[in-house]
Formats: sequence, structure tokens, C-alpha cells
Amino acid sequence: MKDLSKVRNIGISAHIDSGKTTLTERILFYTQRIHAIHEVRGKDGVGAKMDSMELERERGITICSAATYCDWKDHSINIIDTPGHVDFTIEVERALRVLDGAVLILCSVGGVQSQSITVNRQMTRYRVPRVAFINKCDRTGANPDKVIKQLREKLGLNAVPIQVPMGLEGDMQGLIDLVKMKAVYFDGENGDKLRVEEIPAQYKDECDAKREELLDAVSMFSDELMEAVLEGTPTEEMIMAAIRKGTLSLEFSPVMMGSAYKNKGVQLLLDAVNDYLPCPTDVDNFALDLDHDEAEVKVTNQPTDPLLALAFKLEDGRYGQLTYVRTYQGTLKKGDSIVNVRTGKKAKVGRLVRMHSDEMEEIEESGSGDIVALFGIDCASGDTFTRGDYNFSMSSMHVPEPVISLSITPVDNKAQDNMSKALNRFTKEDPTFKTYVDQETLETIISGMGELHLDVYVERMKREYKAEVTVGAPQVAYRETITQRADFNYTHKKQTGGSGQFGRVAGYIEPLEEGEYEFVDQIVGGSIPREYIPSCDKGFQKCLEKGSLVGAHVTGVRCAINDGASHAVDSSDIAFQLAAMGGFKEAYMKAKPVIMEPIMKVAVEGPTEFQGSIMGSLNQRRGMIIGTNEEDAYTVIEAEVPLSEMFGYSTDLRSLTQGKAEFTMEFATYRPVPKSVAEELISKAQKKDKK
Amino acid sequence: MLKQELIEKNPIRHLKGESDAKESSRMGLVMARAGVGKTALLVQIALDSLMNDKQVVHVSVGQSLDKTKLWYDDMFKDIAEFCNLENAGEIHDSIMHNRMIITFNESKFSRAKLEERLHDLVQQNVIKPSCMVVDGFDFAKTDRAVLEGMRDLATTMDLQIWFSAVCNEEADCQCASGIPAPCKGMEDLFNTVVLLQPVSQSDCIDLKILKGTAAVSKCGKLLKLDTKSFMIRENCK
Repeated sequence: MKDLSKVRNIGISAHIDSGKTTLTERILFYTQRIHAIHEVRGKDGVGAKMDSMELERERGITICSAATYCDWKDHSINIIDTPGHVDFTIEVERALRVLDGAVLILCSVGGVQSQSITVNRQMTRYRVPRVAFINKCDRTGANPDKVIKQLREKLGLNAVPIQVPMGLEGDMQGLIDLVKMKAVYFDGENGDKLRVEEIPAQYKDECDAKREELLDAVSMFSDELMEAVLEGTPTEEMIMAAIRKGTLSLEFSPVMMGSAYKNKGVQLLLDAVNDYLPCPTDVDNFALDLDHDEAEVKVTNQPTDPLLALAFKLEDGRYGQLTYVRTYQGTLKKGDSIVNVRTGKKAKVGRLVRMHSDEMEEIEESGSGDIVALFGIDCASGDTFTRGDYNFSMSSMHVPEPVISLSITPVDNKAQDNMSKALNRFTKEDPTFKTYVDQETLETIISGMGELHLDVYVERMKREYKAEVTVGAPQVAYRETITQRADFNYTHKKQTGGSGQFGRVAGYIEPLEEGEYEFVDQIVGGSIPREYIPSCDKGFQKCLEKGSLVGAHVTGVRCAINDGASHAVDSSDIAFQLAAMGGFKEAYMKAKPVIMEPIMKVAVEGPTEFQGSIMGSLNQRRGMIIGTNEEDAYTVIEAEVPLSEMFGYSTDLRSLTQGKAEFTMEFATYRPVPKSVAEELISKAQKKDKK
Repeated sequence: MLKQELIEKNPIRHLKGESDAKESSRMGLVMARAGVGKTALLVQIALDSLMNDKQVVHVSVGQSLDKTKLWYDDMFKDIAEFCNLENAGEIHDSIMHNRMIITFNESKFSRAKLEERLHDLVQQNVIKPSCMVVDGFDFAKTDRAVLEGMRDLATTMDLQIWFSAVCNEEADCQCASGIPAPCKGMEDLFNTVVLLQPVSQSDCIDLKILKGTAAVSKCGKLLKLDTKSFMIRENCK
């Protein structure tokens, strides 16, 4: 059995184009998992190893977090490569859930960009200790000091460099390790030969000053080191132990530098992963005890304890479904039978493999804390596995509601079959991707977190499932809500021979500050019999599915009933449901309903000279500009813009700024649409109804 | 309380000058020791303009966008609570459209840059401010010329500009003899100068009007403010 203290489960996450995939590629090369280096946008057409999906290779972006295993200096490292685009945020979050530590990559020129802020916030939520790596130090305009300052200011990290670069931009020669106080050069064609020498004289002063700063910062975490520093005799081990302690407590973030593309600094980063990032036993993970009201239980990490494993990612491979699993405690063996806690179904572990992007290695068993993949297990991502003796679940993950939807129509019958297969698969893989059939138009609707998110799935359908579909215009997920209280008193009566229907319901509806729907029963004296009260609740809920304005989902409503009447013979469940529905409809228009639309938080980054035109473009799109932030030649503009106005913005922005600006967006909130837009939406909905 | 009543109750409007005609192209200064509430008062001033459906630019030197935005959200909430404002959420959403925050790094701030930005904004039709608040402006490192430049800016753009300045502990006793450091000798540039002072063992803050004529007749030279919402307290003696 492996020594758990020698296992690292790490993630690599960063802003788009900070060089995550390139860095991962280098790590795999130096740990001898691959034997040649292919660039993401390389000329050889092979693409980087981690970008295993064809589509990713084509677009030069990484979508799925492929899990890869490698060895570095007697430690085993599982790397989860995570997507950099905000549209795939759920992927990032899911990956973070199973990580023990992370490397935050930053571009030495771009610095802390909007996506880094999002990722950092997610890491804080899951309490993931992190080390920072300032990549692309070879680029013109590289400025690691500026990036460190931003790490402190924008991300609030206690970031302190543990390295000093020797030269920047074109003439970067190597790095100086401030812990060991040695200069490191990266020789050989692929930078794989490390040469350690004394610090060159011209860097001496700078290094002394930076080391002082480092010692100051880390001696906070170790009394032993503090004393040693005062006496002037700190040892390497002491400093490293203190850095580790600080990093694990999330109160300190060591900063490293280099250039993955130019093969500089990657080996030192791997050393740091071993030295400073936690092993599975260093972090506390919690399971939820389903028998005791989801009470939190700390997992033990002991290989001898009962099994507890989390499926965090599914992939449809050539050999059937591949399930990525992290074991939290116990041991997963080939031939074991395991139980899916959510469904209660038993399954047998047929094959157990360790993944290396899309190649695999068969293994016999996996200890706790390890990340492996299983074959042929039927489950959805986020499911927990045990051996059946435990009713625990690893905590449910925070899943955001989809904000955009598209209608898709298969072009022929064959595509129809393939499409449903694909949709079935995608919904299992990705909880933010949802699909349903619109009962009125009989179209298949897919919904997700953004334009690109859905684009990628449509592309995958074509490529992986050969399902050609035609795509409708993107639709924003509108909602309706009410703005004031309104009363109703409705009698449902029907006499058509035989037993009739009778029910009278009175009460009010009013806006609910928090939450989607609340039912309040204020009936006294039994004017509505007990058994029909749930029927009223059901009736209201049916009304919420489709509001009267534009047929959108109604949220934020409290429905209360306080009076009513029944008939000994004619009252029934359905009669009260219909009465409640009638009552709701009666009150709804009186309650001044409004249409709400999703508002996105948009951050545009671009050269200062385009600031005016960027703001103009946001303004045109009904955007509310919150503010601007100047940084050297770059400006960040933050705005809140309705999602419905953001379609095609990337193209507009590119042509407006000669391709020099980029933007990210993230769902912020729902807000009422302005009157003119609301009228347009309503008349459109009415036309659709008439058809 | 309705929006209109709130507008009338706001103490700040006494400081700003009585009629709208006079309101433009004035400069104001808020002084206090660190941590007393300069930013809060500036935000309050901005909110008052916003309430009157005017547009405001908030220039923040050395503070992040998110933090500045939080100031507004918090202040608005406190004021709304203090005055029981009706449909606060709606008003909040509608007035924030008229606010624009510009943040600068301490080292990157210059008058020329700010002016360029403002012209940009007006040209692109993004915003046409009638009030600007400048928070975190370092008076110790500025000379008169820069402020005179700001004054010209206020005149050409028809703006009311409010600054905040940190003064040191001794300022309390100096104020009898004029305006405390670091703004000593610059008082002629400002139409209004106020000093905030915390009152020990009380939930009030003193607002002393060091310069400015408009407010004097109405409220005297000393106003008491609620520490949370920065509204005038009537019952606090």
C-alpha cells in the first residue's frame, strides 16, 4: 500500500491562455509520462496530450478536466487539468471538490485576470491550499512583481515569492531559489538538465532582500524558525516546514515563476508541489450522514475503513462509460462489489485504471486519497459509492441554474436516435446542462450556462455521436414574479351530470423576498377540509410553471389561503386544485407581475485607448457600467448586462478593439426587464399563443 | 417614507448649496482622521445627487471597484433602513444606473488622466456627471497647481467636486485657526470645508462646518450625524 503522505492530488487552474495546458504538458514530459512535447497550437498537428478531445484541439481550449497521473521524486501526483473558460465553471468546481491542493497559474503580463478571481473564489470556498506560478516570464512586458502585488490586492492572498528570476523577457536565464539560495539553470534542448550554481553577483543584493521578506512572512508560522531567524541560523528544512504549514493553513501562498513554453521553472514547481501542497491526510474532508439529517462526518482516509468514494467525472470512451473516482477512505479493489448511495444499486468493479489523458494503465487496487477511473459503472457525476454498509454521501455540490436555452432539431431519423443518446450522456456528465421537450412546440430544448457552453455540446453531438442538428436562436430563461400583494376569492363549480366539482378558495398572493415559492395555510375552523389543503398547494405550483405574461417560470411568490368552502359530495382533490389555479390566475394580474431576466456580470479587459468604445458598446447593450479600473496600459471595465443582449458580443468586441480585448461573464442575478422590452416580449408571446 | 421626503431630509443638501443653479462648479472638502467616515460622507453626497436623478462619477484612488461598490450598497441599505424608505430595491436599481466608478492605482492617478477619462465618458454618451467625488486623493503630495486644475475642470465640465482628506490627530485643536494640515492655505479653492469628529460615548458624529455659508443659517455650525447612515439626528443633543 502506498504511503499517503507521498500522494498529491492537485489541480491546475487559471485564466484562459495563461498556459495551463502547456505547463501540464511539460510536467508530463519531465515526469517521463510522455516522450515528446506537442504544443497546444503546434504545427505538428498532434496537439497537447491533455487536450484529448478533438474539438479542444481545434479550438485550442481545454474543456474537460482530464485526470492524469505521474511520479516525481518518489511522490505520486494526480493532476486534474481544468478548463479556463467561465462557461465551464461547473467543471472547475467539480474538479476542485476532489483536489487537495492547486497550482494557480498567472500570466506574467496579464496578471490577475477576471477568471483568476473566479477560480480563486472557488478555491477559497472549497478550502484548497494553493501555490502560485507566474508563467510566461519570457514574454515582452513580463513583470512578476506587479503580478505578486495583484495577488495580494485583488485576491487577498498572502503571496510571497520564493524565487527570483534571472533576467526577464527574452534574456531569461534561470531562477534563484530563495530557500536554498542557489541559482538554477535549465539546460538541454528541452530544459531537462538542471544546473545548480552559486548566485551571480549582480543578483546578490536583490536575493538577500527578498529572502529577508520571505523569512519575515513565514516565521509567523513557526516559532522554531522565528528563533532561528533571530539567531541568524535558519536551516532549509525549517523554512520549508514553515512554508508548508502556512500554505496548508491557507494563510500563505508561495509564488514561483518561470516559463513553461521556454522550459524554465517547471521542475522547481513540481518540487514545490511535493514540498508544500497537502497530501490527502492533511486536509479534512467531510461526508454527509444521510441517516442523521446530513450531519457532517469527517472522513478518516484510512485504507482499512469502509469504502467511501466519489464519482466526480464521467466520460464516454471507446470502451463504454468511464467514471473518474476519488476514494476518500477504504480501498477500491478489482472485483469488489460497490453500492451507489443515491440509487441503491449494486455494481461490480470490473476494471480499475489509472488515467493518463486518453491512455490508461490497469491497476489492481486503489488506496484512499487516490484518483482512478472505473469502467462500466452506471452512475451520474456527483454520486457516492460505498460497500453498502454506509449511508453516507459526499457533500452535494452547488449547481447553478441554467440561464440560456436553445432548441435543437435533428436533421433525420438516424440523427434523432444519436441525439437522444448524446443528450442522455451529457446530462449525466454535466449537472449544469439540462434538456427537456417543450410540450407546446414539441421541440427539444437544451439549456446551460452560456453560449459557448451549449455550442460545445452541439459540436460534440456532431463529432462524437454523428448527430446533425439544426439549432434555433438562443433563448434567455426569463422568469416572472409579482411585485405586490393581491387577494383572491374563487369558486370552482361544475355540474355536468353525475358528481359535480365544487371548491371555493380564498386568500392572497404576495412577493417572497427569498426563495422561489412558499405555501401558507391560514385556514381556521375547517372551511376547507384538511385533506384538500395539499390539493390547493398542488394547484398553485401548477400555475407557477407558466406565468400569464410570457409563459415563463414564476418565482418569488408566497401563496396563502385563509378561507374557502366545500361541498360534502362534489368536493374533490381535482376540484380544489382547479379552484386554487383559478384563484391564482385571478390574483396574478392584480399583483402587478413583472418579467425578470438574467443579468450577467461582465468584465472586459482591453487596452486603455479602446476604453471609450468598449463602454459605448456595453451601454448600447443595456449594460449598467459599474466602473473601470486602470492598470498601466490595460483597463478593466465591469458592467452588468442582460444576457439577452450579450449574444454575439465576442465578435463585436473583437472588431471594435482589433482583437485586443477579451471578456468574461458570469451569471449575477435576475432583475426586472425595462418596460419597453417587457411589452415586446409580451406581444411576442401572445403571437406565439395565437399560432 | 417616500423618495421625495428622503431627498428633503438629507443633510448633505445644505452643504451643497441651496439652489440647483448654484450647485454646479463648486468644490467641497471633507476632512477627518483616519477611520471616522470620510468615504461614508462622500458616498452619502453621491447618493444624494443620485436620488435627484443626477449622474455621479466616483473616483477612487487606491481602492478596488468591488469595495467601492459595496460602500454604495451598504450606505444605501443603511439609509433606507434609517428612514424606512419604500420600495428601496427598485430605487436602488434605478439610481445605480447613474453612477460610475473609476478606480486608479495610487501611483497612476493624475489630473490629466482623469480629465481624459471624463471627456471620454461624456463623448461616448455613457454618463454626463453633475457631481464627482474623489476619494483617497493624497493632499500631502499634491501642490496647489493640481487643485487649481481641478477647479478649472469643475468649471468647464459644470461639475461639483468633493474631495476627502486625512488630517492628523492634532487637527481637532487647530481648527479654530482655519483649516488643518495637509490642506492649510488651500481653503480659498474650496466653497465648503467640513470636519468630521467622533463623539466619545455617543452614537453620533460631529460635522463641523469650517467654511461655507449656505448651511450656516439653517443648521448652525455643528451637525450631528448618525454613525451608521450618516443622516442628521434630530433628537441627539
